[in-house]
Amino acid sequence: MMEHTPKISLENVTYRYSIGTPFEKAALQNVTLGFEGGIITGLMGHTGSGKSTIAQLLNGLLRPTEGTVRIDGQDIWEDPKKIGAVRFRVGLVFQYPEYQLFEETVARDIAYGPHNMGLDDDEIRRRVEEAARFTGITPDIFEKSPFELSGGQKRRVAIAGVMAMDPEILVLDEPAAGLDPKGRAEILGGIRAYQREKKNTIIIISHSMEDMALYADKLMVLDHGRVSRYGDAHEVFSHAEELKSVGLSRPQITKFVMELARAGVPVNGGIYSVEDAYKEVLRVFAEKKKGAK
Amino acid sequence: MKEQIIQAKNLCFSYKNEDGKPLPVIKNLTFSIERGSFVSILGHNGSGKSTLAKLLNLVLTPDSGELSVGGIDVMRDDLSEEDIYNLRRRIGMVFQNPDNQLVATIVEEDIAFGPENLGIEPDEIRKRVDDALAAVNMTEFARHSPSQLSGGQKQRIAIAGIIAMLPDCIIFDESTAMLDPIGRAEVMETIERLNRERGITVLHITHYMDEAVRADRVMVVDHGEILLDGTPGEVFSHVEQLKAAGLDVPQVTALVHKLKTEAGFDLPDTILHSADAVEALRALYDQIGG
Amino acid sequence: MLRDITLGQYFPGNSVLHRLDPRMKIFLIVIYIVTIFTANTPVSFALVLASAFVLLFLSRIPAKLVLGGLKAVFIIMAFTAVINIFWTTGEELWLEAGPIKIYREGVEYAIFMIVRVVALIVGSSVLLTYTTSPIALTDGLERVLAPLKVLHVPVHEFSMMMTIALRFIPTLIEETDKIISAQKARGTDFTAGSLAQRARALIPIMVPLFVSAFHRADELAVAMECRCYRGGEGRTRMTRLHLHARDFVVLGAHIVLLAAVIALNIIF
Repeated sequence: MMEHTPKISLENVTYRYSIGTPFEKAALQNVTLGFEGGIITGLMGHTGSGKSTIAQLLNGLLRPTEGTVRIDGQDIWEDPKKIGAVRFRVGLVFQYPEYQLFEETVARDIAYGPHNMGLDDDEIRRRVEEAARFTGITPDIFEKSPFELSGGQKRRVAIAGVMAMDPEILVLDEPAAGLDPKGRAEILGGIRAYQREKKNTIIIISHSMEDMALYADKLMVLDHGRVSRYGDAHEVFSHAEELKSVGLSRPQITKFVMELARAGVPVNGGIYSVEDAYKEVLRVFAEKKKGAK
Repeated sequence: MKEQIIQAKNLCFSYKNEDGKPLPVIKNLTFSIERGSFVSILGHNGSGKSTLAKLLNLVLTPDSGELSVGGIDVMRDDLSEEDIYNLRRRIGMVFQNPDNQLVATIVEEDIAFGPENLGIEPDEIRKRVDDALAAVNMTEFARHSPSQLSGGQKQRIAIAGIIAMLPDCIIFDESTAMLDPIGRAEVMETIERLNRERGITVLHITHYMDEAVRADRVMVVDHGEILLDGTPGEVFSHVEQLKAAGLDVPQVTALVHKLKTEAGFDLPDTILHSADAVEALRALYDQIGG
Repeated sequence: MLRDITLGQYFPGNSVLHRLDPRMKIFLIVIYIVTIFTANTPVSFALVLASAFVLLFLSRIPAKLVLGGLKAVFIIMAFTAVINIFWTTGEELWLEAGPIKIYREGVEYAIFMIVRVVALIVGSSVLLTYTTSPIALTDGLERVLAPLKVLHVPVHEFSMMMTIALRFIPTLIEETDKIISAQKARGTDFTAGSLAQRARALIPIMVPLFVSAFHRADELAVAMECRCYRGGEGRTRMTRLHLHARDFVVLGAHIVLLAAVIALNIIF
């Protein structure tokens, strides 16, 4: 179904957990999907759609019960002994990642991943500084204990810790969950700036359509382990009714524009930002004025 | 005039930082909450809104000012433990993390926890638990373990645990922040219903604009002070002030504001709901050339 | 994965055993253990083993689940059985191959030991852990031990701690799983290197886990206070325990079983 060659993909992947116990259950059933390289993809779906399982399959934390995970066409489980190397290529930031902090200082915590990769001290320092810059961590807190920080700052440190590993592919599970609007904008904006500079592949798992419309290049909507929509924000939001049935909330503005069209003001659908809605309303009003003259 | 369930005057509170210096979090707050109302307290992280909730419930004690909750003057010197106990029964609290407020391994046992602490008769507790379960639409989960439930369901159980104590007021301290959209919708629906059908006063602390617009009244807290206070329509017409405080406005409100200020559209000030905006814009559109 | 652990887990249901009074169950388990250790003849052992399976049947719990729990102790059982078989000396020599001598008594001991362990695990797990919700169990214990309050034994506090521990076990297991995954994603290797290196690899797990557990404890304490908790004083309970006919029937059955085992011991 996808024309592009994916950077990373799942092919007919099934994942069952608690195999051999009465609690055995399939988290994913025969899923095929691929993510384009060099862009930010927003992976969306309601809770239980298997998004978090996909994240762990992508970096080899989970091994598919059936099917193949490929990076650049290569099966990552071809040699299971080398799965550690895959984890350095695919960075994974879990939901509420602030719980993974453990080091004495912020700088050391960010350096933990790079250190495990066996990099030299100069390179580690360079990466820590770079990751801190993208996540908005100022050097004055480098020597502080991560446990003294506010919730939002902890989140940035945790994300920086994975960014500093400089992965080819970075998967983030709900990186802005629970943050206030300003915090959300800063975290997601930082991720976007990071991607634009690194030109790497980023997958953001989210159920906020508003956020993904603004920060992702392509949106992928999952429904029962199937890709129900894939495209840029305009394409996906043109099918706004469908999103609702998948359990995702559509941006208020998208709904509003649809209702406005239904009420007889001939605006086009597929709008997801206030800016675009503004332009569209002005366009429609101007056209009618022209016609009236 | 209706009864005020909470009355605060010049309320102040500071945390001590590492050096022992006071760090003011709540500065000179004066406000009152009417019994039976649904009030949203809006503010970004660190604005002092959660501290405020803890003061109202006496988890924290104010440094100075006047505070009366449910007719009890909580700043009184001779405030007894019994008074605090009584106050906590009447002013329930639901917190952010659903996992960290459920005590028991079975849903109905958890709901019974509060009434049991109050020393209520077993038959009466049973009745209250059943009623509370019904109030949050969780009756069929009575015998489940909380660990089998979704975030939204756990949060509804936490709410039921408070309802079983028959409170006058419930404070929701960012109770929707950790939930997914479905869980948030479930909890919001429950909160509204409790307010409407049972007349429970609701104080809903949040940073979600779409939740705040559902209240009768919105108080915006910034740097420990009240920035804006009024109906959602009034508050959200101050788009610039809200943005400066690190908050958003609902998208439709932002659009109407932009059309009004930048394109000179003749629209009313206090549009919050999509349907009103559709109506107003359609009316303007129909006028063109006509 | 950690979440696969099923030993000692409550299995909801509505069987006779599920509905027994928890206080009675605590009493029954004592009788049952006494019975198991009283048995010392093949016939009485057979009876004990049969009774374990009757309990299993009555509980309506999938046999696979309960027997699966035996896997955990299989190695210990096998090891002890081997020691019994090879090292017990007796009167009736069954097999002699070089230095190895196997006596009838050794084989008997090994079998009895296995029967005892199987009966103990199957019996106690279906009688108690699988069929009694942890909260009913702690509740039962609190009430059985209530008379000790007179001696200033903190019975309520102990049972409250048990309840909270039980409540948070699944949460903390899930959390540990999550932290392990997160640190693996940051390149922690738990399997390579010297013992010291492996021990060091645990720090990134233990520190966040403790921090989180303390944080949860803090929040829970505030939540409990907000729900008017102030210790066991003046506290009532929703569930009132009543002994029903079924409790006495099962008690009767256990006493008959114990009597039968004693009788069989004497007869054979």
